[in-house]
Amino acid sequence: MEVVVLAKWVPTTQEEELKIIDEGRSVDLEEVPFRMNEWDTYAIEEAVRIVKEHGGVGWVISMGSEDADTALRRGIAMGLERGVLLETEEDLIDPFQRAFIFKNLLQKKGIKFDLLLTGGQAEDDEFASTGGVLAGLLEVPYASMVIGIEEISGGEITLLRELEGGLMERVKMALPAVVSIQTGINEPRYVSVTGVLSAAKKERDFLSAADFMEGAKGLLQLIRVEIPPPKEGAEIIGGDLDGKVSGILNILKEKGVYK
Amino acid sequence: MSYSLIIAETRKGEFQEGNFDPLYLSDIVGLPSYILLPEGEYGILRGSCDKVIVAPLKEGEFLNPLNIIRLLERTFQAFGEPSAILLPHCSFGIDVAPYVAGRLGWPIITDISGFCRGEEGEIFIKTLYSEKINGHFRLKEGMRFVGTVRKGVFPKVAEVVKETLFEEAPSIEKDPRRDFIEYIEEEIEDVDITKADLLVSVGRGVKEKGNIPLFEELAALLGGVLSCSRPVADRAWLPKARQVGTSGKTVRPKVYFALGISGAFQHIAGMKDSDVIIAVNKDPSAPIFQYAHYGVVEDMHRLAQKMIENLRDQK
Ligand SMILES: Cc1cc2nc3c(=O)[nH]c(=O)nc-3n(C[C@H](O)[C@H](O)[C@H](O)COP(=O)(O)OP(=O)(O)OC[C@H]3O[C@@H](n4cnc5c(N)ncnc54)[C@H](O)[C@@H]3O)c2cc1C
Ligand SMILES: Nc1ncnc2c1ncn2[C@@H]1O[C@H](COP(=O)(O)O)[C@@H](O)[C@H]1O
Repeated sequence: MEVVVLAKWVPTTQEEELKIIDEGRSVDLEEVPFRMNEWDTYAIEEAVRIVKEHGGVGWVISMGSEDADTALRRGIAMGLERGVLLETEEDLIDPFQRAFIFKNLLQKKGIKFDLLLTGGQAEDDEFASTGGVLAGLLEVPYASMVIGIEEISGGEITLLRELEGGLMERVKMALPAVVSIQTGINEPRYVSVTGVLSAAKKERDFLSAADFMEGAKGLLQLIRVEIPPPKEGAEIIGGDLDGKVSGILNILKEKGVYK
Repeated sequence: MSYSLIIAETRKGEFQEGNFDPLYLSDIVGLPSYILLPEGEYGILRGSCDKVIVAPLKEGEFLNPLNIIRLLERTFQAFGEPSAILLPHCSFGIDVAPYVAGRLGWPIITDISGFCRGEEGEIFIKTLYSEKINGHFRLKEGMRFVGTVRKGVFPKVAEVVKETLFEEAPSIEKDPRRDFIEYIEEEIEDVDITKADLLVSVGRGVKEKGNIPLFEELAALLGGVLSCSRPVADRAWLPKARQVGTSGKTVRPKVYFALGISGAFQHIAGMKDSDVIIAVNKDPSAPIFQYAHYGVVEDMHRLAQKMIENLRDQK
């Protein structure tokens, strides 16, 4: 089995107050810490398990600035063997364009896969699209938001897709295929900082994304970013800690849920 | 004249409410709307769109990107090429839209939550960075794209009443490379969070499993039930049955007390109809404050400690 995982190095903005710069065209990420996209950590874990069970080689591929090498090193520390970084300083936001670059990479470098895994979505742009577009471009089967891989045998994969409200569907697909992974599918193994550091000794391929742009047109343009205009919003309960506590308790009493 | 083709989701034969947002977006953009659906009766759509096109496929065959692309090729031959292919942003939409975009070579915008038209042309709005930013996107080569639309964001254009034609889509040969086998329901749960009057709900801000007991105690002292956002259930810090949101439970308690939850739409969709929402977050710019009735900017651990002390004193 050749298993390829696409893994993105993303800004962790969940706890940050964001600033808009560049005359409204971009978000200031200078001070924001980056990490492996949550969904991709689950995809890597799944790939490591598949390769362990079925043999073969696991790849991790990332596209981004040179910092995204950390995504390769994390993937390798978790148990994948090969790493490829497509370096670019450009902010390639269009998922169609990104998928096209990945297609060019796979084809030009002769990287053949039985299974290509992506995360269900990237935390930063949340397009949930890159893997599906890539599958379409390669004309191979695709299934998204996979929450269980039950069996791989005889050139087929049986999997569970997550639907809404606790419902799932069981699907069978022919390999090679592209699958996007939903969080919670497994328990990603812990890797230590030293594990990630020592993965730096492993050979990786550093390529320039610019060499794989043929036909990869950007069809979508991000012309402006803004802080969402406030809706009605919450009434803020301020004061010191005691004041906040009694404020909350008063509401609970008023609503009759706490006596 | 061109049109927008809405590929609709049904589940177990039921037409899903989320299909209306792509339909209303199509009206707002000003395109005639054709809706493509699996086998079934769709009388409810009379008056709301220009064409209902029923495909000779069962639901399990229809909700499959590999069959949809074959169906689209035949549909284009029969009805002409649309300028927009729109789907609801749900488990079906995100399965089909990117694949279709890749096969057709069309641009894709997912999770559309706004639209405007101005000097710069047509702008589609999509949230970025965990809903902290709105991105304004423009199609470089004009109106020809695949899009998915967020549920509950576009209002009905009141004056639109259409003469709906019912048609049948041409038949296709199914793609043998992907097959629907069956639906599976989630297993039995521990507590039913949909029955609680008070939910104390924790998110990733809880930080680690070892902190769960603190919030369990808080919920118990208040006479409420502990629930959570997805990352907490993903890590099995709480059972999956406690997860609130689109892929968990939809809840409507008298009070939803959320601590350390940022406010992703998949979470909000599961709790927005609560009578009162109180949100605690250390980040004053957390999107959940947009949806909550009351907000407290505070460290959730410190606050929970203090509340527990007060409640113990009162007992
Ligand atoms: C198909 C799909 C389905 C999904 N279904 C669901 C679903 O059903 N339910 C769901 O919840 N999510 C769902 N998600 C995930 C969703 O997109 C978000 O990733 C998730 O809701 C984020 O959870 P969170 O708010 O707990 O974590 P985060 O977004 O990481 O937010 C953590 C928050 O805690 C705050 N915080 C941190 N430390 C503290 C502290 N000490 N004190 C106070 N505040 C603190 C931070 O400021 C931040 O706002 C789904 C996603 C997809 C793609
Ligand atoms: N720049 C990138 N580098 C590596 N993987 C990516 C990149 N962009 C997208 N992906 C993959 O595609 C998935 C979905 O991303 P998106 O379509 O941007 O939400 C991610 O979880 C990754 O697996």
